[in-house]
Amino acid sequence: MKKEEPAAVRSGYPGWSGHSWTWSELPSTGTKRHIIDLIISKLLFIVALFAILIVFFIIGFLLRDGYQIVLETGIWNFLAGVDWNPTGSPPSFGILPLIVGTLLVTALAMAIAVPLSMATAIYIAEIAGPRTKAVVKPAVELLAGIPSVVYGFFGLILLTDWIRILFDRPSGSSWLAGSILLAIMAIPTITSVAEDALSSVPREFREGSLALGATRWQTIRSVVVPGAVSGISAAVILGMGRAIGETMAVLMVTGNAAVIPDPITNVFSPVRTLTGTLGIEMGEVAFGSLHYHALFGVAVVLLAITLAVNGLARLIIRQMQRTPARSRAPGPLMQAVHGLIPGSLPHRAKRRIIHPKTTQKFAFLLISIGVVIVLAALGAILLEIIVNGAGAISLEFLTAPPSDLGRAGGIFPAIVGTLYLVAGALAVALPLGIATAIYLIEYTADTRLTRGIRAAVDLLNGTPSIVFGLFGFAFLVLFLNFGVSLIAGQITLGLMVLPTIIRTTEESLRSIPKSLREGSYALGASKWQTVWRVVLPPALPGIITGAILSIGRAAGETAPIMFTAVVFSNRYLPSSLFEPVMSLPYHLFILTTSVAGADDQKFGTALVLLVMVLSIYLIAILIRRRYNRATVINNG
Amino acid sequence: MTGKRLSGVTAVALAGILMVVLMAAGCLGSQPSGSPASPSQQITVTGSTTVLPIAEKAREAFEDLYPSTRVLVSGGGSSVGVRAVGEGTADIGMSSRDLKPEETGMYPGLVTHHIADDAVILIVHPDNSIESLTLDQVRGIYNGTYTNWNQVGGPDLDIVVVGRDSASGTREFFAEYVMNKEDFTKNQEEFNSNGGIQQKVSQTPGAIGYVGLGYTDGVKSLKIEVDGTPIEPTLENITSKKYPITRPLFMLTNGEPGGAVKEFLDFIMSEEGQQIVESADYIPVQG
Repeated sequence: MKKEEPAAVRSGYPGWSGHSWTWSELPSTGTKRHIIDLIISKLLFIVALFAILIVFFIIGFLLRDGYQIVLETGIWNFLAGVDWNPTGSPPSFGILPLIVGTLLVTALAMAIAVPLSMATAIYIAEIAGPRTKAVVKPAVELLAGIPSVVYGFFGLILLTDWIRILFDRPSGSSWLAGSILLAIMAIPTITSVAEDALSSVPREFREGSLALGATRWQTIRSVVVPGAVSGISAAVILGMGRAIGETMAVLMVTGNAAVIPDPITNVFSPVRTLTGTLGIEMGEVAFGSLHYHALFGVAVVLLAITLAVNGLARLIIRQMQRTPARSRAPGPLMQAVHGLIPGSLPHRAKRRIIHPKTTQKFAFLLISIGVVIVLAALGAILLEIIVNGAGAISLEFLTAPPSDLGRAGGIFPAIVGTLYLVAGALAVALPLGIATAIYLIEYTADTRLTRGIRAAVDLLNGTPSIVFGLFGFAFLVLFLNFGVSLIAGQITLGLMVLPTIIRTTEESLRSIPKSLREGSYALGASKWQTVWRVVLPPALPGIITGAILSIGRAAGETAPIMFTAVVFSNRYLPSSLFEPVMSLPYHLFILTTSVAGADDQKFGTALVLLVMVLSIYLIAILIRRRYNRATVINNG
Repeated sequence: MTGKRLSGVTAVALAGILMVVLMAAGCLGSQPSGSPASPSQQITVTGSTTVLPIAEKAREAFEDLYPSTRVLVSGGGSSVGVRAVGEGTADIGMSSRDLKPEETGMYPGLVTHHIADDAVILIVHPDNSIESLTLDQVRGIYNGTYTNWNQVGGPDLDIVVVGRDSASGTREFFAEYVMNKEDFTKNQEEFNSNGGIQQKVSQTPGAIGYVGLGYTDGVKSLKIEVDGTPIEPTLENITSKKYPITRPLFMLTNGEPGGAVKEFLDFIMSEEGQQIVESADYIPVQG
């Protein structure tokens, strides 16, 4: 299998201390190594606790401002009241319609996104040739880089209108519009992570299955997908986190009427989600009023729902990890999960009438249709932006500060501000995230503490970005007195992408075979040496994927920086971390919603943002490809 | 092979470091041409998105006049403006509504400066044949009494009611002035910005919405009937208060302003500043 592995341990490699060990130099006594190991494991432990700490902080700050509403209205009236009318006389704060709206929009979005994502992931991992794969995989990842403001803008202009005309409704702003948009946004996240999980299923499994005479489709359905089921579930949870937490795009297309659809299956009814409520009302609510506290109450409920959804998902995963991949009798939960994966329900061989080859053709056709739909959605949005935005691009547009509310001049300060924010967010999240993942996978068994940390990470992942924004404002801007500043935005964004980085890093560390670690120990390497030289290198592609997804999110998010880091317009570049900055997504948001007659600049800004994300992705993808080529030889 | 893989790790690490360094270098090394050296003092202005265009346009002219002062403008909403000034995170807050009792209770030092007026315009789709409504009809539409345009003299078409979110200063004004505090229909679609409403109405044949003065491209502004005479929302009619739905816009300071903050507010109240107000589609306060 991997004959070269000992060499990996042998060759000198700079560790954190900057000291480069070589095999002959290793201290014979082992005390020094032992101390280093001890220090590192304690450090990792402390960092890993950070996730739990953040969760408590966020919950604490939300409760601090949210409990008053329950005192006022009573818990039952708040949760089960059907009237949300905070400015009525008398005001009423019933959030049942918002809860129902959130659940409906998310459920339908996942029903659309999961099959399409699975089709695309299976296509990329199992069916596509290397050339096609090299095009489709980055293309899908790119979808993640389109900022939610842009999606919302498109939803508002094209999607809702299309729904209105196609189904002949008075208005197209609806539950359906929100779900379609959320599905498009969740697909790249789910696909990327699921594809990594599928790709990490050992080759021997596939070869064994094919050698027994199974078709490629049977192999995918009965061997590869069940073998990757934990990673796929992680992918779905990540995607759901993205969907529940989405604010900007949803509030632009669902109509935001606080009604429960009547009948409950009426997908054309306008709905209002919890995030949408925070997104449209938080900005202008009177500080300290009952309405203000009600919104914090909404945020608490949102977190509770996230926790419940995550708890359920974790239960499913645990159930699946207990069941061996090729078990004959899947439990009810397994079957529910299998139901999500098209064509994966085990059927009885005796009743088979259709030839396996025919089934395979049909399955591959369905998968191809799914991939085409995903790529068409990407293509349509990209084309629209490029065609409309190309005219706005000029040297002045790229190098000058804006004037006349962004109707003239350029967006240079916004470009720089976004780069600063993304770089800062990564600087915060990458070390923390990777250290946490290493601690969870390499340094502990499954204890109550690690379960707590993982639960905290899941909860953070599902925390809507707007809640991070509120937390950043309450904690960083006011409590720590940073003011509206670059550093507050960087930390807020960093916390927001932390769970993505932890989850993807964990997943890729988990896929490293145990034998590698054992081989390293057998040669006398210490724990840390093993992690640093043997486990981390082959896990890099997964880590890079996580970083790519995070860049896409951090560069495109508006909600977390709205209250923490940005100014509408700024002639100068920030000269310190404590000054506010301009940013591309916020600039786009303002141009879209508050400035009439800036169409060129709007599309131009969107185009620049896309190109920027695209080039960051491209660098990362090139690195990953170069790296993959190096490991293919090792795995071959 | 092994060497390759290890250099792969190094390459990634190096690339990461290089990217950050490049970002920093590229940013620090290339100040945009024509930008003066960093100013010695700065004032921050934040709050209502309705007032934002005035502050933003005034900022440009003001920075040309006073190169040593830097003005930072951001939006967020009236309440953000009140909160930011009250908490001391901004020098000037912008608000499109009066202060609420909770706010004056929390921040007793706030001073309001009436800098401009705005009108609220009722807009419909350009193809809608309706020309004017009475305030009672508007209220009937927004509280759900009328659901079809033919009930108010328009075409046979379902009405899609579009309004602002419940935290909006514009909606609050509309609720008090037009609705007499009656509840809005539950089916009202809500947007959190003038631009969102404008966009929605411009593409929905049955829609009606209300926006500030600057948001009437691609939609049809309705005349409002006062004592049987339809009044068009022209600048003249709004200034003379003939058009019924107008409201004041404020800038807020914590205590009486001084220094650069005072200079900026004085500039907005000057003749040049009020011309800027007019060019941003608002109504000057000092004709």
